[in-house]
Amino acid sequence: MKDTNKAVGSPINRIDGIAKVTGKAPYSMDHTVTNPAYALLVKSTIAAGTIQDIDSAAAEKAPGVLAIITHKNAPKLNVKGGLRGGALLQSPEIEFFGQNIGIVVAETFEQARYASRLINVTYEKKEPKVDFDLVADQARMPKDKDKADAKRGDVQAALRQATHKVEEVYETPIEHHHPMEPHAAIAEWNGDKVTLYSSAQIVNGAQSAAAATLNLKPEQVRIVSPYIGGGFGSKGGQWANLALAAVAARQVNRPVKLALTRQQMVNSVGLRQHNRQKVSLAATADGKLTALAHEITTHCAINDEFVEPCGDCSKIMYDSPNSLITYRVVPMNLIVPTYTRGPGKSTGSFALESAMDELAYTLKMDPIEFRIKNEPARDPSNGKPWSSRTTVQCLREGAKAFGWEKRKPEPRQNAQGNYWIGYGVSAGTYPAHQRPTSALVKLNRTGNEVKATIELAAADLGTGTYTILTQTAADALGLAVQNVHVKIGDSDLPPAAGAVGSVGAASYANAVNDACEKITQELLTKSGKQFFVRPTAAQLMLSEKLTDYQTRVDSKPPEQAEEYSAHSFNANFAEVAVNKSTGMVRVNRFLAVTGAGKILNPKTARSQIIGGNVWGIGMALTEESVVDPRWGNFVTRSLGDYHVPANLDIGHLDAIFINEHDEHVNTLGIKGIGEVGIVGVAAAIANAVFNATGKRVRELPITPDKVL
Amino acid sequence: MRPFTYTRANDATSAIKLLTENPNARFLAGGTNLLDLMKEDVERPNTLIDISDLGLAEVKSIANGVNKGGVSMGGLGKNTDAANHPLIRQHYPLLTQAILAGASGQLRNMATNGGNLLQRTRCPYFYEVSMPCNKRAPGTGCGAREGINRMHAIFGWSDQCVAVYPSDMAVALAALDAVVHVRNAAGQERQIPIADFHRLPGNQPEKDTNLVHGELITAIELPPNRLADKSYYLKVRDRASYAFALVSVAAALETEGAMIKQARIAMGGVAHKPWRALKAEQLLVGKEATEANFNQAAEAVMADAKPLAHNAFKVELGKRSIVLALQTAMNGGKL
Ligand SMILES: Cc1cc2nc3c(=O)[nH]c(=O)nc-3n(C[C@H](O)[C@H](O)[C@H](O)COP(=O)(O)OP(=O)(O)OC[C@H]3O[C@@H](n4cnc5c(N)ncnc54)[C@H](O)[C@@H]3O)c2cc1C
Ligand code: SF4
Repeated sequence: MKDTNKAVGSPINRIDGIAKVTGKAPYSMDHTVTNPAYALLVKSTIAAGTIQDIDSAAAEKAPGVLAIITHKNAPKLNVKGGLRGGALLQSPEIEFFGQNIGIVVAETFEQARYASRLINVTYEKKEPKVDFDLVADQARMPKDKDKADAKRGDVQAALRQATHKVEEVYETPIEHHHPMEPHAAIAEWNGDKVTLYSSAQIVNGAQSAAAATLNLKPEQVRIVSPYIGGGFGSKGGQWANLALAAVAARQVNRPVKLALTRQQMVNSVGLRQHNRQKVSLAATADGKLTALAHEITTHCAINDEFVEPCGDCSKIMYDSPNSLITYRVVPMNLIVPTYTRGPGKSTGSFALESAMDELAYTLKMDPIEFRIKNEPARDPSNGKPWSSRTTVQCLREGAKAFGWEKRKPEPRQNAQGNYWIGYGVSAGTYPAHQRPTSALVKLNRTGNEVKATIELAAADLGTGTYTILTQTAADALGLAVQNVHVKIGDSDLPPAAGAVGSVGAASYANAVNDACEKITQELLTKSGKQFFVRPTAAQLMLSEKLTDYQTRVDSKPPEQAEEYSAHSFNANFAEVAVNKSTGMVRVNRFLAVTGAGKILNPKTARSQIIGGNVWGIGMALTEESVVDPRWGNFVTRSLGDYHVPANLDIGHLDAIFINEHDEHVNTLGIKGIGEVGIVGVAAAIANAVFNATGKRVRELPITPDKVL
Repeated sequence: MRPFTYTRANDATSAIKLLTENPNARFLAGGTNLLDLMKEDVERPNTLIDISDLGLAEVKSIANGVNKGGVSMGGLGKNTDAANHPLIRQHYPLLTQAILAGASGQLRNMATNGGNLLQRTRCPYFYEVSMPCNKRAPGTGCGAREGINRMHAIFGWSDQCVAVYPSDMAVALAALDAVVHVRNAAGQERQIPIADFHRLPGNQPEKDTNLVHGELITAIELPPNRLADKSYYLKVRDRASYAFALVSVAAALETEGAMIKQARIAMGGVAHKPWRALKAEQLLVGKEATEANFNQAAEAVMADAKPLAHNAFKVELGKRSIVLALQTAMNGGKL
């Protein structure tokens, strides 16, 4: 329960909100440097082959042009330095459409763009592998050991014996992250050191990858990333554009600004892969699962493998004596896939939770009761106890709040005018981890006022890191939030985990709490006094008349955390209205119930969850990146063609948090909410569409043509 | 962007003269389409003649001539102003609905009526200059014909081009028998019925319309009609707003008792121009406004459809949309 004297747990406004809405928060391209030049990437217009020649003579003479860099004159870079997606201008080989093949640097962005049109490239083309349907049967076992076949019992036998089963294939298309702030970097050299102003979800990761790629030591590269205009995974790993900005700046001997255009985003910074997922479920007549198989086929890049873990939900959500999870992957001439919000869990849960709904329907069971019947007492994948698990609570509380009892079990029973109304439910999960993070606390006293500065190389994706760390430190030091200043997003600060995989809040807040705890302890020792009631660090600064004091901590997750299986859980409820004539689907209401341990700030937490829900609505109804199956180009290259949901698509959103205290997961009991908000959303909507119309759509997105 | 000169015209005569003299010049109205195309290197004008200061923005009743009693909208009026003008809202609610179904509030505030008529296709191969496209670069082939063509035409296409024309406004104008007024360098006014304004692609997909280079759209006239009580613009799309039509239908009816006296059906998202369904309209005249008759009309419209590899769904969707639009029109435009 919230203690009214505490900052943690209060729905305080975002610390950085005013700066953002008044334009004072600098994003990557907003930082001021002296006399910058502008760079634009040049992209390949074939998907496979070799560059025979690049004729840049006309471009070099174009007004304002300062340099043209291609594989012919680019400096030697380390292609294994940790930047993703290749495309570092190190060879004439082309592996995907839109691969970087050059940089034009000019006095202005417009001049760079004009000159880029004058470059003539001749290629020796190869037949590209760009049609997933044509190559899917060549898929092989992934190299990643986590993706090895996971088998328990005998799924095939259980399926053969079962009276009730579902065996279906579910497809999710390629998606792009499309953050509002496209990837951009300003590079500024100072001797042999370079500063890169570029938004990064993992500040230290960006630093080490850029350094290794540029053949520099990490301390020669500084990443400055105080604000991030969205990332959703695409700014977790970093991409060629970061190093190429530094290359361009070195070449022209002045700071360079390099931003991707929206159209370039589709083949520069990864994507969410197309997943073909076969789910097979079997159950006894009374609804006990006897088999759960989830077989995934997807694609990766020609020379780089990434496979999102679509089987993760299937591993732990339900109790089944027989289980099988397999991955197969086929290299294609497309940019390498990468983490995308709710990686694997969002797409995997679409398959699993749709299949659960299909089987519940076959069993004539309520889909909530069917799920609860198969609730596992321990983590089925490793036998560990749960640190805490809230699936049942999420389902039950959600059902009550949503009015689930009004749902008609059979489709086409609920009509309003020209619309079919349907209800759908799903459950979801996302793992909770804390990662090593360091933090520095500085206390300063002027007269009777004590102020704190907290420093760590953490990231704020727009999610509220500044705010929750201010709240955490205020409580831990005994200060008001106005007297706490948080500095993050700079690799010069103590190293920190990334804002990825929902580890940010747990890693950062625990580190800050540890640092505040440590400074309080040190001040106590320093005072040499015994206290009946333990004073706060702020009180000690006053009583001991100290003016400045600081300490740093290197924080790690508690050791016993490994003994438990720790995850956030959720349940999603959707009410849709489907136009009887046109098949257009609208989400009237959506409710997400989440059990994610301690909620540091209900306001920023709610925003995270409903943001994830909106992403899920996009996944369910509108988002799809379409590849031309002959040439490998994306035909959906603008936000006019790639449809993220508009306000009208969304309807009323509600978020409820389960009040839980997880004492095993980490010191503060934080589980993370960034990813779980999208998990299960698409399935809840697809299930609602079935409940409305009787039409089961197994291929996302659910556009009108698929519902007709 | 290619370098270009920018001129702000003071009066229509000099604007038209400047354009006529330079085949590589373009008028700049709201710029919401032209500038996007210039950034992508699809349009490559060397001169932009800004026509924002020419006036020609008024919406007014027509006092004389064949369209007496109708309403005229200035060619340079903003889409938002046209849609919300009391004369349009009252007499041509179909047009209000169609305009408001397009783009977004911000875009409609910039977009002009003339510019809207002349917006170019959204075919993705047209937009990406490395792709073959007969409309952008005649003779290079059609990227969409054998490529991704879910959004493309089911009527009136040619092997040279299967693109659709994207305007919503123009679909309503087609149903309303609008007349486009244009002026040339000699000061001559020409009146082009909306049905003849846009073209089918044929062997010259690079030509979207029958407008001659140098002509300025000065006004769009709407003849008077008795359709205002029973009309509806239905737009089916991949998201609830801010997306181009998969299929759209402008439907309007005039009835006498139970009998249909007059019917108008025009479709968007299905052809290289607004697709007016005259035959189906005739089928409805003298019949009762029943679902069966609407179905029959819809079947008649779709009998000519020739879908491509990815857009066969438009045939069934089109039928249902026609029926729903007619029913909604009968219901006073309320869904
Ligand atoms: C993201 C996005 C979504 C959109 N969605 C929709 C939609 O759903 N439905 C829809 O209908 N539209 C949609 N639009 C298109 C929008 O309606 C058009 O861009 C707009 O109407 C064009 O008007 P404009 O005044 O800006 O034209 P401009 O861009 O200024 O001009 C377009 C062309 O017309 C010429 N021109 C302009 N005025 C005249 C004139 N008076 N005489 C002769 N030539 C002239 C110009 O030279 C130019 O070639 C969308 C646009 C965008 C960018
Ligand atoms: S359909 Fe028309 S616009 Fe599209 S690629 Fe073919 S020729 Fe070009």
